[in-house]
Amino acid sequence: MFRWASHRTLTDERSRTERSEPPRSKRRTLLIAMSLLLLTAVMALAWSAPDVAAQRGRHKLTDRNAIVINVPRRTPEELAARAASRRGVVDITQAVAIAQAVAIARQDIERARSLSDPRYLGRAQATLAPWWVLQNPPPDVLLLRATIKQSLHEFHAARTDLDQLVRARPKDVEAHLTRAVVATVSGDYNAARESCASLAALSATLLATACTAPLDALHGRERDAYEQLAAQLARTRVTDPALRGWITTILAELAIQVGAWDLATSHLRSVLAATPGDLYALGLLADLLLASGEPARASIVLAGHEEVDGMLVRRAIAELQARGNEADALIAEARQRFVAAGARGDRIHLREEARFVLDIEHDPRRALGLAVENWAVQRELADARLLASAAVAARDPAGLALIGGWVTATGVRDVQLERTLARKR
Amino acid sequence: MLKLLAAFTVLVASASSALAHKPSDSHLRLEVAGGRIEGTLDVAIRDLDAALAIDANGDGAITWGELDDSTSAVNSYVADRLAVTRDSAPCSIGLRQAVLVDHSDGPYWSLPFEAECEGSSVSISYRLLFDTDALHRALVRVHGTHEQTLVIRDSTPVTVLTGASSSLHDFITEGVWHIWHGLDHLLFLSCLVLPAVYTRRGQPPRTLRDVALSVLQIVTAFTVAHSLTLVLSTLDLVRLPSRAVETAIALSVVAAALNNLVRVVDARWAVAFALGLLHGFGFSSVLVDLGLPSHELLSALFGFNLGVELGQLAFVAVLVPALYVIRKTIVYRAVLWGGSAAIAVLATIWTVQRLIT
Repeated sequence: MFRWASHRTLTDERSRTERSEPPRSKRRTLLIAMSLLLLTAVMALAWSAPDVAAQRGRHKLTDRNAIVINVPRRTPEELAARAASRRGVVDITQAVAIAQAVAIARQDIERARSLSDPRYLGRAQATLAPWWVLQNPPPDVLLLRATIKQSLHEFHAARTDLDQLVRARPKDVEAHLTRAVVATVSGDYNAARESCASLAALSATLLATACTAPLDALHGRERDAYEQLAAQLARTRVTDPALRGWITTILAELAIQVGAWDLATSHLRSVLAATPGDLYALGLLADLLLASGEPARASIVLAGHEEVDGMLVRRAIAELQARGNEADALIAEARQRFVAAGARGDRIHLREEARFVLDIEHDPRRALGLAVENWAVQRELADARLLASAAVAARDPAGLALIGGWVTATGVRDVQLERTLARKR
Repeated sequence: MLKLLAAFTVLVASASSALAHKPSDSHLRLEVAGGRIEGTLDVAIRDLDAALAIDANGDGAITWGELDDSTSAVNSYVADRLAVTRDSAPCSIGLRQAVLVDHSDGPYWSLPFEAECEGSSVSISYRLLFDTDALHRALVRVHGTHEQTLVIRDSTPVTVLTGASSSLHDFITEGVWHIWHGLDHLLFLSCLVLPAVYTRRGQPPRTLRDVALSVLQIVTAFTVAHSLTLVLSTLDLVRLPSRAVETAIALSVVAAALNNLVRVVDARWAVAFALGLLHGFGFSSVLVDLGLPSHELLSALFGFNLGVELGQLAFVAVLVPALYVIRKTIVYRAVLWGGSAAIAVLATIWTVQRLIT
């Protein structure tokens, strides 16, 4: 169909350029003849179309190798382990049973993270089901349970598990780090500092520095935080690309905060060069491009990642601002995703939805409602910027007081936040 | 078994690259009509793979062949874990031929099923996938005496239709809903009411009293006529094939509209009565579709009819004053002639459509 249409345009082009202009009446006859021909062709095509489709269908029908959908590869061992896990656990205190469930759940959490696909979180939780409701599950389970809850934005429940975990395993680096992250996101900075200090005491110096840097940056010491973390990274030999990527992303966020956007961009580009599928870094890069008034480039960067809601919303905004021709389709798709999430009763897309409502629906009142609701759950700088933008756009004194109060209390300095709040008068 | 549509899906799936990343949902639709329940359950292939290892060789590609081989495993999985009960008695479910359909996050196994069982309440026990995906949800849509949606979050059975849920209020709503959405009834009424404020040249202008009286006559005649046939056919005393009734209703709209353009019958209340008889048969098909138990029939009849009258009165209450205000203007003439002509054309199209489908 496509090829046919483009072919037609080509011949049209040629007929116009190669021939000299025929007289008017001849042209009209030609036009009528051509329209008739076209009409006949379309009718013939329409007539034969069902047959073509049926033939193609019949052809595929015999093809048992046609791929319907792709899923992650699984080794025979994994298939066997999962089949055993599905049959259920006989004794939940047995160390082997715990280890097997933890291994499977860990793999699913890792898939959820690397593919940005929440489906695998539900699977991990199901694997841990026998321990899920226990007050005192084994520490390994506790860590995964907290990680899953954190991913579902159940920060309070995650904290309870992590508090319990660091008591049970005071030397567990991952536990302290996760606890610090969760505490920072939910705005409990004292608890976060406590965990960072534990990391330092365990002589995990780089991790401890990466742990305190975002905290310092939220309290007006963003430049020092950047210098210290950059120096510490230069001093340490990091072999794990994931760890290097994580720390470089923190550096990029600090650079964004002070307005060194070129530096931030080069950090993010280096992360993406090593791990192209890092959607967190990709999202930051796109936001940076959007903030610098380069929506067309943001759209290009995000293209192909629309399966993830956060990327879809960003790309819809980028296309809309760049007046790209995919804007309408992306907006419709995003709207449909929010409806689908709503049908499930999910509330974990508040940040994306607030942004969508503010930048695409241009409904600052409703966006502010969502941003405030989101603020009650998570308090990262991105959430603060969103809250500020919505409050300013809605000219809402209560919303402005909410974000203003936080800025004053923390002493946070952020180029974008200040720019937004300067617009309020 | 499920081949034909599956092949179609293969083509579609390869064309769209961005499948949404979202938590696992399945979609359960139930259509309850009397003792007959028709349902469709859509489950994501990826979810079935997690539960049944459809990708048996673990190569990361679920092929058409692997799906085909899983048909009986999927059927028994669903049969084991999905149950419908009426008044706590289980219904025997007949699974039909599955097809593949596309949702935003990929292909789904769509399994139609049916159950024959009498009773007033309907309960669903849905126990698929929760043990492989704790965030799985079943989004349920039930159409019975009214539309209902709910989300199933765990294996606990849920009651979706209670015997008492179809209250008088529901039937009234259904009646109002029907008259407002079935455009043909309102257009019929419009055709009859439009000329009520019309004054022929050389005659004294019609007073508000005259107008009100003639509208009252028309509305009453229409109400009496359709109530009569509604009762007769709901009680199964008179039965007409629904296609014939629907076609005749469309024709009645044509007739009423033409009568405004070329006056044949002057007493429009008589037209309202005669053709109104047809509309009553049309209304009754709605009640029959709801599949009511006999003890509810009287309240249903009463409530539904009341709803129809309320809906139609509301319509007339807006239309007639508006017409009265503009009756001396050119706009009114345009509405009368143009509107009637347009309705005649539209209703003719309906007539043809209903005849051939």
